[in-house]
Amino acid sequence: MSALHAPGFPEEAVRDRARKGARAVFLDEGAYGRAVIGARADTVSARDPLDLARLIPPVFMPRRLEKLIDLAGEPLHSDVDLSTRIGGFDVPCPLYVSAFGSTQVGADLALVVGAQAGALGIPMVVGENVVAGQGLRTGSSLFGRLASYTAALPEGLGGVVVQQSTEDADAEVWNRVYSDPSVTPLLESGRLGFELKVGQGAKPGLGGLTLVDAHEARRYAATHQVDQASGPGDDLWLRSSTPGTFTEEILDQQIRFMRNNFPRARVWVKLPPGRDVAEAARMAWEAGAHAVTVDGAEGGSGWAPSVFLDRVGLPLHECVRRIGSTHADPSRAGTDRGTFLVSGRMWEAGRAVAAMALGADAVGLGRAALIAADEDPENGLANLVSAFRLEAALLISALGKYAIGDLEPEDVTLPPSPWPTPIASDPRPVF
Amino acid sequence: MHARVPAAAISVPPPLGDHLSLPATRDIMLIQQEVLFAVREHLRSRGFVELLSPLTGPVTDPGGRGAKQLDVDFYGHRYKLMTSAILYKQVSLRGFPRLFYIAPNVRAEPLETAGTGRHLFEFHQIDVEIAGASREEAKNEAADLLIAIVRHVTEGVPDLLASLGRDIDFFSALLQGGFETRTHTDAVADLSGYGHSQDSGSEIDWEAERVLSRKYDRPFFVTDYPKGSRGFYDREDPDRPGVLRNFDLLAHGGYGELVSGSERQSDYAAIVKGIRESGENPAKYGWYLEEARRGIPASAGFGMGLQRVLRYLTRTESLWQVTAYPKLPGVVSA
Repeated sequence: MSALHAPGFPEEAVRDRARKGARAVFLDEGAYGRAVIGARADTVSARDPLDLARLIPPVFMPRRLEKLIDLAGEPLHSDVDLSTRIGGFDVPCPLYVSAFGSTQVGADLALVVGAQAGALGIPMVVGENVVAGQGLRTGSSLFGRLASYTAALPEGLGGVVVQQSTEDADAEVWNRVYSDPSVTPLLESGRLGFELKVGQGAKPGLGGLTLVDAHEARRYAATHQVDQASGPGDDLWLRSSTPGTFTEEILDQQIRFMRNNFPRARVWVKLPPGRDVAEAARMAWEAGAHAVTVDGAEGGSGWAPSVFLDRVGLPLHECVRRIGSTHADPSRAGTDRGTFLVSGRMWEAGRAVAAMALGADAVGLGRAALIAADEDPENGLANLVSAFRLEAALLISALGKYAIGDLEPEDVTLPPSPWPTPIASDPRPVF
Repeated sequence: MHARVPAAAISVPPPLGDHLSLPATRDIMLIQQEVLFAVREHLRSRGFVELLSPLTGPVTDPGGRGAKQLDVDFYGHRYKLMTSAILYKQVSLRGFPRLFYIAPNVRAEPLETAGTGRHLFEFHQIDVEIAGASREEAKNEAADLLIAIVRHVTEGVPDLLASLGRDIDFFSALLQGGFETRTHTDAVADLSGYGHSQDSGSEIDWEAERVLSRKYDRPFFVTDYPKGSRGFYDREDPDRPGVLRNFDLLAHGGYGELVSGSERQSDYAAIVKGIRESGENPAKYGWYLEEARRGIPASAGFGMGLQRVLRYLTRTESLWQVTAYPKLPGVVSA
């Protein structure tokens, strides 16, 4: 260490990189496998408009009057109906468990989360790379997760959505699931879905990233790109999935292909928080998607370069603001298509109700589900959901409303947006 | 939504020895022999060369309708059993501009197909490809081939057909030719008129094929399927984006699809884009794309399901009855 100092310059970060090389692009790897990574609260929460949003009840409440007439008595928060239908599934409340990153954290807790989500009748998305990472039928494998989810699934509620990324397509994940005898009951009860992964919140524009040891790296070498994280001699390897190339036509065709090939499965599409997210959501719905899920830049339970966590992608509130108006399309009313789902730092009802007032139909639990299951493998998620339900019912009834679908933008005020006008997407065709 | 048959209603093969010793199985195999004779005689007379198709390869036809491919360990490399040899057919055109296979294929079709009477795990296709041909030429070849098969069988072994309960008058309109062509859009509208709801963006479902096919007195073509309903090798109509220059030939009498064919996509960039539109990483198709980059001849062709033709000829209920060694999707058997 020399006496050199550079006041006002990010000296420590430079020194960190000087010591660790490419490994310093990520958070300290000591956290890998134990931490669930997303945008850092200290850099986000204090200026996140969705967290700063306030729900503003009116004084005059015509909807409460409607409920009063309906009940022939004054309504209470317990009269709020939280049940709804999202992405082709009936659900007891506007929640689903979003896909976890394919790091060891997600794999270890997946069965515990799945069992609890199933018992609650809350839909669950099984993330990409599960087949590549865990195989098909052992332990925390894809079919292991389906089995734990369905073990105590109540009749008529919930559903499982299996994600497929570009690499998973090579492993034919959807084909394997669709023709497996063990999923027949889910298919026959309309409770199997497939989610096309177009991108993700924590690292929009990139594919999945995981750190693996040398043994795992050798196993992945035939199907994925694996590089030593800091160059030759490093014992940690970075496994990179391709993000996949999408144009309007490719997205449109992939959705139609899903509908044609898997006519009995629900079609979900997961979009990254890109600048043309509203246009992509509209296209996905037009092509027949039952649900579009958008992961805000705050999302993530896997592994991402810090610069992506800090600087890349639209925050969730901006995604909701841009899509909310697109979403209010009367032509989809009464159909089973066109659900708008959001995730990204969701755990309590305040953020969720604000997002739903702005146009979302339900919210996804990612890190919150993992932490809850980690805290209490038997009831952690159930307890978290129980708190959410009470909070949501209190908030919605305070707004003078008694159904999820009655929430409207008038119920929420946002701080001034740093994004005054949506940036028009580049209309130039690729070919 | 595809028609679903309750498990109890699925007709399954008896033990293999019993099946092989049934008089009907013997009659049908004798008819199969005549069909294969007629195919070879007819196609050879038109200048086609028969090749034997590959059984495995690094990739196979990704197909559609949710069929699963089967892996083979090729000395540590993941190979596939052929679901169809379409990619090989296209590349073979460089040496054999008119070619055909009697190709064995394996497809792990979705379980719901076990009861359609029209799906097998292992089956054979009469696979034809013609360099430089248009869709019209491929349609004509398919129609002529079917007529040649039916003529040969009805003239050569009418007693076998009679013993299976097939009245050869059933084919009298077919033998006159003149198969009508309906577009996919027409077919969707026709189906709506018959009270059957059909997604305009998807393949005609199995029940819909049965409904349509009952309305005709001879086979008929359905053309112009929407993009997304077929493999990436079907050529998109350059004048009508989203519409494929392809066709199916459907049998009359409720038997549904016998033949699927198209003009092929031979332009390298369009093939890469088509693979991507079906959700896959084009890198998987490395050897084929390398050939496409070097130049694959433009072509049109088709696959005719051998067992489907036999079922149509012999008036049998299920495809398993017209194969010596039947395997139904998901049904464990010999």
